[in-house]
Amino acid sequence: MRFATRTFLWSFIPFVVLLLGSFWAIQKLVEHTVRDGLRTSLRQTHVSMARVRANSELQNSRFLKILGENASLKAGLQLLLAAPRNGDARRTVEDQLREICAKLGFDFLLVSSPDGVALAGVMRVGEQLVGMDIARLRPPQQGFTTIGERSYQVASTPIDQGDENIGTLSVGEPFDFTAFTTPAVLARRGKVLKSSIPGIPLEEVEIALKPCRERAECEVRLRGETYISLPMDSISFGEGYVLRSLQSIDAASGPVQGILRNVFGIAGFGALLATAIVTILSSQSIVRPIRAVVEHLKKSEGTGLLPEFQAKPARIQEIRELAESFNRAASAIREARANLHRAYVEFVGSLASALDARDRYTAGHSRRVSELSWSIGRAMELAPQELDVIRIGALLHDIGKIGIGDGVLQKPGKLTNEEFALIQQHPTIGRRILEGVHGFEDYLSIVELHHENWNGTGYPWGLRGEAAPLAARIVHVADAYDAMTSDRPYRRGMSLEQAIRVLRQYAGTQFDPDIVPLFASLMAFTQEPSSSAGAHAGPSRVHVLPNVVNEANEAI
Amino acid sequence: MQMIVKLAIAAVFLGVTAVGGLSAADIQGSVVIKRKLTKRRVTASVSAYERGVTVKLDTGPDTDSLAFERTRVAVYLEGQFQSQPATAALEQKNRQFVTDTLVVPAGSTVSFPNRDPIFHNVLSLSKPKTFDLGNYPKDHTRTVNFPKPGIVFVNCHLHPNMTAAIVVAPNQWCTKADGAGRFALTDVPPGAYTLVAWHRAAGFFRQTVKVAKDHASPVEFIIPLDETGDAKVVAQR
Repeated sequence: MRFATRTFLWSFIPFVVLLLGSFWAIQKLVEHTVRDGLRTSLRQTHVSMARVRANSELQNSRFLKILGENASLKAGLQLLLAAPRNGDARRTVEDQLREICAKLGFDFLLVSSPDGVALAGVMRVGEQLVGMDIARLRPPQQGFTTIGERSYQVASTPIDQGDENIGTLSVGEPFDFTAFTTPAVLARRGKVLKSSIPGIPLEEVEIALKPCRERAECEVRLRGETYISLPMDSISFGEGYVLRSLQSIDAASGPVQGILRNVFGIAGFGALLATAIVTILSSQSIVRPIRAVVEHLKKSEGTGLLPEFQAKPARIQEIRELAESFNRAASAIREARANLHRAYVEFVGSLASALDARDRYTAGHSRRVSELSWSIGRAMELAPQELDVIRIGALLHDIGKIGIGDGVLQKPGKLTNEEFALIQQHPTIGRRILEGVHGFEDYLSIVELHHENWNGTGYPWGLRGEAAPLAARIVHVADAYDAMTSDRPYRRGMSLEQAIRVLRQYAGTQFDPDIVPLFASLMAFTQEPSSSAGAHAGPSRVHVLPNVVNEANEAI
Repeated sequence: MQMIVKLAIAAVFLGVTAVGGLSAADIQGSVVIKRKLTKRRVTASVSAYERGVTVKLDTGPDTDSLAFERTRVAVYLEGQFQSQPATAALEQKNRQFVTDTLVVPAGSTVSFPNRDPIFHNVLSLSKPKTFDLGNYPKDHTRTVNFPKPGIVFVNCHLHPNMTAAIVVAPNQWCTKADGAGRFALTDVPPGAYTLVAWHRAAGFFRQTVKVAKDHASPVEFIIPLDETGDAKVVAQR
């Protein structure tokens, strides 16, 4: 993974997690508070509703008491008690009950004997009040009863004659859910009989209510919604009947939660956006300097050079220190490498010197050729790197002569063909020697090709014209010049003018026709202050170029 | 009103002095009621209840309510003259006494047959005759003799809305007005009499009637009621 990505993620993700976590926690907290508040208000509603209901129950009971004092009903009941099997008597009471029903709007009325045996009753079926089949139906004296499809709430009052109880009057009204402001469920022993929750079948409500204990508050899940359910235990409904109120918490807290979600959504989105921007900026500020360092290093990797950072110092201290220490390390490495190179060159130079020293006549030859070649190169305005290559390459140009015995090399007289062929091998030998040395690749062409002639008559390959590199051609001229101007056991060295003349003579055949005139003018210019300095003063000629030598040394 | 009371007192006095003659005449008269006096209670028939039909109460019958009121007016002569006891029936039908105003001369026997498929109970707590016939079912009947004149209110213990009035007249000259308000007392010996009209809600109205041989002047009772429907003059019973 990229550093930038990693930096971004490492700062962004914890931020996001923290943000989402705290939003979630706040949302939960608010939700919890809303639910608690709702539960409390529900309970209060519940309590007040129960109170109202209890009050109306009391009113009803008073009203019922008055109904129980109905003299004609008492007379009818006494008649019926005296003749319980008499159809006329039962009809008489039924008739009385019908009249009461019709007047007072009850749904059923029933009289029973003091020992609880139902004697006569009427009930409303549609628009009609029909006699109740008392043998089959046994409605309780209190609470709920279900006859057919309908649920009735039943209340009773004793019918007393003096101090004697002569029976009970029970009245039933259809149980009306509309009296409850909250949805309610009527259940008996876990079986839901009636529900005022719209659109949900009774079975489903029953399953949802299963975990609730009979007379305890509980929370139920119904169609993905949470309902709070409270038993209305303040109202007595009799045998196993429980009335529970059910209120959807979700529906009540929904609007608030919606607002919260919107607020949190907008705030969260804003915060995330801000976080993303801040994170990107901060990670960029870390990554950018590092990336610059990395790019710099990559460049160094490609070139092998270790240039120092030129960019303005980074604002981050660590990055600045990194750049500085890189610069320090780079310069140390550069220095070490230069030292190593210099040591090589010096080693090779001393090797060349040692070679030159085998013969007093050739002593200093390599160094002189090096200096002359360097001067030519500079006069040609070559690049410093090329000048370096020429200087060191020229110093090493005769290294191959190590492999040629003194007998041949220092032979005073004319060489035989075989001996000459042996001599001609020295560029190839030199190349082979230096090939194995790492970092000397640039000098190989000079060592190998400094005896190639312009017209292709040179050795070892007989290259023509510019096929041999410029550096080799320069060294060829300088080598020839120094050889001509140096003394030999069998002859004295030529004078400068003579040598230049020879060079001019062979320019275009042996030598590069461009280099020779340049060299000639260069020598003429250096010769001017001491025109008669002598033809044989080879070493002295070196001295006319001290500044050149010094410069060359410094350049290494 | 004061004048009417005075007249009434004078009539009582005159009534006592009246003497029956050999020849007789008919007293013709009419009752004028211009306003409905009582709310006629309507109960559905027992059989209707049996079928379970709910009947809206307090709706008047299709009949002319003023005519109905006129039929509830009892008319008789005051004074202990000769009486010819009779037998009459006061049925209990559809949780009503039929008829609700019965006029009989003193000493008559009234039977109370139950025509409903339910029990009824006939009782009276009125001074001239107190009785309780108990509960009895359909097609059973009980009889009661009314020797003393006066007004006997009859009720059913089981059905508090059932009520009837039996006007026990002191003599044989007693009758009820018809729907048009007309009434007639036949063969009244000549003399001065007090003629009494009684309506359950309006009370007693008295007029002096002179019966000549073969002739009696026509009588008109105007039974007045104020805005509230109460009779203006309610004489003592």
